[in-house]
Amino acid sequence: MANTVTEYVMPKLAMAMNEGTVADWLVQDGDYVEAGIPLAAIETEKVAYDVESPVSGYFYSVVPVGQTVDCGTLLAHFCTEPRRPDAADTSANSSTDLPADTLGANEARSKRDPVAPSVVDSASDTAATSEPKRLKSSPLARKLGKQLNIQLDALTGSGPGGRIVKRDVMAASESKTHQSAQLATAAEASGGDILATLPMSGLRKTIANRMVQSLQNTAQVSCHWESDITRLLAQRAELVEQEDLLGTRVSVNAFLIKALVYAIRQVPIANANVVNDEIVIHRNINMGMAISIPGSTEYDSGLMVGVLHNVESMGLVAIDKGMRSLIARVRNGEATSDDLSGSTFTLSSTAGIGPPGLKTTPVLNQPNVALLGPSTPVERPMIKDGDVKACTMLPLSFTFDHRALDGEPAARFMAALNNALEKPSLLLT
Amino acid sequence: MRTITLTDAIREAIEEEMRVDSSVFVVGQDVRGAIFPHTKGLVEEFGTDRVVDTPIAESGMYGVAFGAAQEGMRPIVDFMFGGFSYVTFSECSVTTGQYHFLHGSQHALPIVITAGVGTGQRLANDHAMSIHGTFAHHPGIKVAMPSTPYDAKGMFKAAIRDNNPVVIPWHMGIMMLKGEVPGIGDDYIVPLGVADVKRVGSDVTVLANSLQLQHALSVAEKLAPEISVEVIDPRSFVPFDMETLLTSLEKTNRLVIVDEDWESGGFAATVSARVVEQGFDLLDAPILRVTLPNMPVPGGYMEEYVAPNPERIEAAIREVCL
Amino acid sequence: MALSIDQKKSLMTNLIRAEEFNRMMYRRMMQGKLIGFYHPAEGAIAPGVAASTFLNQDDNLSPHHRGHGITHMLSKGIDIKYYLAEHTGKVTGCCEGRSAFHFSFPEHKVYMMSGFIGYNFAPAVGWGFAAKQRQKGQVVMNCSGDGSYGQGRAHEALLMAQNWKLPIIFFCENNGMSIFSTAMEMHPKPDISSLAEGFGMPSAIVDGQNVFEVAEACLEAIARARAGDGPTFIEAKTLRFNEHDIGTPDLSGWEERSEQEHAEMRAREPVTIATKIALEEGWLTQPDIDHMREAALREIADVEAFADESEIARPPVEELMQGVFAP
Repeated sequence: MANTVTEYVMPKLAMAMNEGTVADWLVQDGDYVEAGIPLAAIETEKVAYDVESPVSGYFYSVVPVGQTVDCGTLLAHFCTEPRRPDAADTSANSSTDLPADTLGANEARSKRDPVAPSVVDSASDTAATSEPKRLKSSPLARKLGKQLNIQLDALTGSGPGGRIVKRDVMAASESKTHQSAQLATAAEASGGDILATLPMSGLRKTIANRMVQSLQNTAQVSCHWESDITRLLAQRAELVEQEDLLGTRVSVNAFLIKALVYAIRQVPIANANVVNDEIVIHRNINMGMAISIPGSTEYDSGLMVGVLHNVESMGLVAIDKGMRSLIARVRNGEATSDDLSGSTFTLSSTAGIGPPGLKTTPVLNQPNVALLGPSTPVERPMIKDGDVKACTMLPLSFTFDHRALDGEPAARFMAALNNALEKPSLLLT
Repeated sequence: MRTITLTDAIREAIEEEMRVDSSVFVVGQDVRGAIFPHTKGLVEEFGTDRVVDTPIAESGMYGVAFGAAQEGMRPIVDFMFGGFSYVTFSECSVTTGQYHFLHGSQHALPIVITAGVGTGQRLANDHAMSIHGTFAHHPGIKVAMPSTPYDAKGMFKAAIRDNNPVVIPWHMGIMMLKGEVPGIGDDYIVPLGVADVKRVGSDVTVLANSLQLQHALSVAEKLAPEISVEVIDPRSFVPFDMETLLTSLEKTNRLVIVDEDWESGGFAATVSARVVEQGFDLLDAPILRVTLPNMPVPGGYMEEYVAPNPERIEAAIREVCL
Repeated sequence: MALSIDQKKSLMTNLIRAEEFNRMMYRRMMQGKLIGFYHPAEGAIAPGVAASTFLNQDDNLSPHHRGHGITHMLSKGIDIKYYLAEHTGKVTGCCEGRSAFHFSFPEHKVYMMSGFIGYNFAPAVGWGFAAKQRQKGQVVMNCSGDGSYGQGRAHEALLMAQNWKLPIIFFCENNGMSIFSTAMEMHPKPDISSLAEGFGMPSAIVDGQNVFEVAEACLEAIARARAGDGPTFIEAKTLRFNEHDIGTPDLSGWEERSEQEHAEMRAREPVTIATKIALEEGWLTQPDIDHMREAALREIADVEAFADESEIARPPVEELMQGVFAP
């Protein structure tokens, strides 16, 4: 015969009751007990009660006399058959299944995806920038991406909804170093020909693409001359002596930027961007600066363009300080999106790195129409007022986009620049 | 160390403070007969001048405490159930919170407000609602809640010694929770405004208090083989120990806040906003809250699944670790 | 106002029902078959029966927590099965199982029982105000204990009701106890009704163990209110035989109430008193009374069966959220 079992639990007799003790069972196991007869003596912290049986049935205790249990704990079974319940028996108690939604309506959050902007800001389309389009990524992932120089747009996110999270960035970073470490060890182990195999991905790929695009989509030409910076260096030396007062060791690049501001004032079209089919000439001069950064191996390198905004309104010291902190931010992965966008002219120097007098054909930083590439100064004998003098000559390579500038304005620009560099008192105007 | 219940611990704090400072007294309804265990035996030791029952007149009762505090006494006013404080809400929120500040910070108001709160007894809204979120919203009032007997004794002592209004309810679901406290004679304090890392972990931080802290700990234990859960007990809501939380997030980068209060406008929302302001870059996932949905707390059998519970806490932890 | 025989028989019927219903609730509490708590009404059943038996459907009634309002509600014609279902968390409960031990029967003008003592004084002013506007002779029976008159809002209600001559009966069931606190200790005067005097309100003190005496005073007050003559304060001196709520000790102050106090109380048991009167006055026989009790027990069996056979209310959270705001 089927045994229907009613569970009897420790009753909660008062608000302050959390547990009770079975002081005594007033019936025996196996007895047929009528509903309503005294069943047990229950003690709480405060009071003692005789409780009554809730239903009729064959009684089997589960908890022995003297045991203290929480309210709601099973104390005994009432069975329709004279035997203890087993797994096959049915329960007479109402279902205690929780409804399907136990998680609460406030956990049903609506997830909203970020909206991609419809226009890509071309002024910020420099060699390496913060994400040009809206990605789903956690704040932590973005911070780590900058620090470790991982381009998030090259990653697939493993977080909810495709969100890029820390582990994705860390995995990409490790696989970079792991790869190069692998390659390095593989090369050493094999003693073979391949020292390293670097994938054209991430930052490298971006640089590669931009270089090709710049050379293919513009009519860029490069010009070379040398400016006598003997007097400029003497002026600089005066300022370097005042390093403590000025708070910075004013660099030659600061003077160069000041000279470019002068030259741009003479030939404004040198400070322009080609956007779609328009040449946009800017009043503000936002100086792009090519900054080399470490590569992923000992063999390669990376390149980012930091932007110092509004140099036309800055003095030498402000330019120098601004430059130094910009470079530091870029190298530490703390560059803001302003730091990496909005250039109107770019400076890319190999001074101190290349051999003296180096002439280069630097590639334009699109969409700028002009770029200046100084290199390592060289001592030459020059004729001054009929005499031969030893002069420090700064080699300058100037690339311009012939779609926007013709030879005449370009030449005038270079002459103005040369003038300012050779007569540094013009920088005071 | 001895093992006692949470309400025993509260009582020990009260009686020890009453023994050393004769200006401390308790006022409430049926506190002499001790409707709850934390005032049991006090009237026998301290007499009816220091353990005071009032008529069912909440405004008058609170006025006893407020005025006495202004007069240099140190009252503990007991509302029995947290919701009953709302019967005299303007007095204990507005008038109390503003007194010191608006009067030029010249006069302190040392008043302790306590009551039983919380779900688990199936009594529905009047008797189950929490009050810490609402009181935390009103400036000038400190708000705290203990989760263990050790914390209860130390925090009640700190509250009684504090010269400011302190709202310190206790959760009825852990009324009889047992825990270790130092031996008699050890006059220890648990300072207000200091959170406690109750379990160290590395994958996710769970912020939880009182009954929900116990739930969080049991969930953390259960999930230990898969997810390493760090459980922090804020202990105080005002002032709130943001430092401990941010330090934890530097390690885990994920946060679940469990708060047995309504979703709308509660303490969980406040902490969440502050973490986004102060620790944005630490977050690898959105902050999740496990709270009461915005409905009056139902009685009956619905309370079990509407209120925050271990299942919901576990689900939130798993979601934030995806 | 003298009672007719039929009125007395109605009172007797309801009194016996009230006694059995209270026993049923007490028993179920001990069996673990109730949600929440129960504040037993043994010894305190007569006032509620007297106050509610002669109310019309459209008269407002606000019972209080003693006996969870059952004595009042059954006397006003409310079907208690819906309340027991609520009190056991069932879908068929008057509040869909959401409220634990609260009730609401709007069609009977029994709107609520708050968890806060003395909450009902403020709304009662509103009900009286509406009743007065409608001019249909509607009255408000505002029931409460002695403790609730500590609330400031009780005094506000007395003032406004008297000032505006609202049709409210302030029905104070003074059992001398509020949990552990005695009325003697918490009120400066032994008669709560002395408050009425301060507001210029007529009052009466009746023996709350004698259902007929209470009913006479109630009928008179109801007639006054219906006629537009304003509020009355009725203080029924009654007794609380048990502890405040089951599971709480039965203390006075902080000491157990004495055996002697208990014995004195039980000497004034309301059904015993009413039976004696009925038999002496001869309008009921003992068999009549036995039949009344049997009928009450049958009623209670149906009520219990209804509640126990109903499904436990566990709707999904979304469904509950839909109920927060009215359409």
